[in-house]
Amino acid sequence: MTESKRWWPRLLLLAGQIVLACIFIAAGYLKLREPWLQFAVSINSLKIVPDNMLELFARTLPWIELILGIVILTGVWLRWSAAAGSVMLAVFLSVLVRSYALGMQVDCGCFGSGEPLGPKTLARDGLMLALALSVTIGAFLMRRRQSRPA
Amino acid sequence: MPPPAVKNYKLSGSPSAPVTLELYTDFECPSCRMMYLDVLPPLEAQYVATGKVQLLHRDFPLPMHPYSKLAARYANAAGQIGKYDVVAGQLFRTQPDWAQNGNVDGAVAKVLSQADMAKVRDLVKGDSHLDDTVTADVAMGNKDNLNQTPTLVIVKNGKRQKIDGNVPFGILKTYLDQMLAKG
Repeated sequence: MTESKRWWPRLLLLAGQIVLACIFIAAGYLKLREPWLQFAVSINSLKIVPDNMLELFARTLPWIELILGIVILTGVWLRWSAAAGSVMLAVFLSVLVRSYALGMQVDCGCFGSGEPLGPKTLARDGLMLALALSVTIGAFLMRRRQSRPA
Repeated sequence: MPPPAVKNYKLSGSPSAPVTLELYTDFECPSCRMMYLDVLPPLEAQYVATGKVQLLHRDFPLPMHPYSKLAARYANAAGQIGKYDVVAGQLFRTQPDWAQNGNVDGAVAKVLSQADMAKVRDLVKGDSHLDDTVTADVAMGNKDNLNQTPTLVIVKNGKRQKIDGNVPFGILKTYLDQMLAKG
């Protein structure tokens, strides 16, 4: 194998890892800058969380996103943190697709308030999920390659 | 002697209330209707009437709604004769009807006496300053970076927190209680 063939998958994975980390950090930070009531209103518009759970979700989810972003950025447990990110994004996307299919007027709330749900939002979230899955698969493949005897 | 200042008919509650809620609405917006009918009654009973919160209505007619400016004009004309709440309530309740045909006058006429309705019609027709509060509210809304209605701005100690969208009363109550408990 040539030298160039060895370094590019690492570089690609690193780039994906950084972008994915920035997405989660931005999503968490932008929500935390606003009152938790704002995110609770966005969650409520999706009609999937019971009223008595809205505060819990609104207060904890941005912190989970922020911490997950930081963990992904550090690269520690990358396989598992990227997998967790993929699961989160898959859940978010399926909830948004459901809302869109039902014709609900909802605020995505993905990066703070003021973003009505539309095809652009779904396409963007789909790309983010594809990125998270790519980083997860890449991290697992990289780990397998590293553990292979030379 | 200067004339007595006209009471701000869009403002209710105690001036010493620690929190002020500024509610931006558009009379033709369905979510504003929901907020007005579902959230305002318990909010007024539990927070405004008890002196905890001062409530300020702000008009923010959206360009996509052809009759919302007219509706605001009727509400503000009613405000001039002390009937703002009655007319604003009627406009939101009957919104599905007049939003179809623009018959705001007919909807308002159902809740006012003939004499009051005549005064309101005169004001709507001829008062060139009737939209002044709407202009001021829109300017304030732009300053608050409003991009939708309803929007609630929670004001405490001069700090303004903007909350976009229809806020359910239960979660608003939790938030207000926590805010008031902090002093």
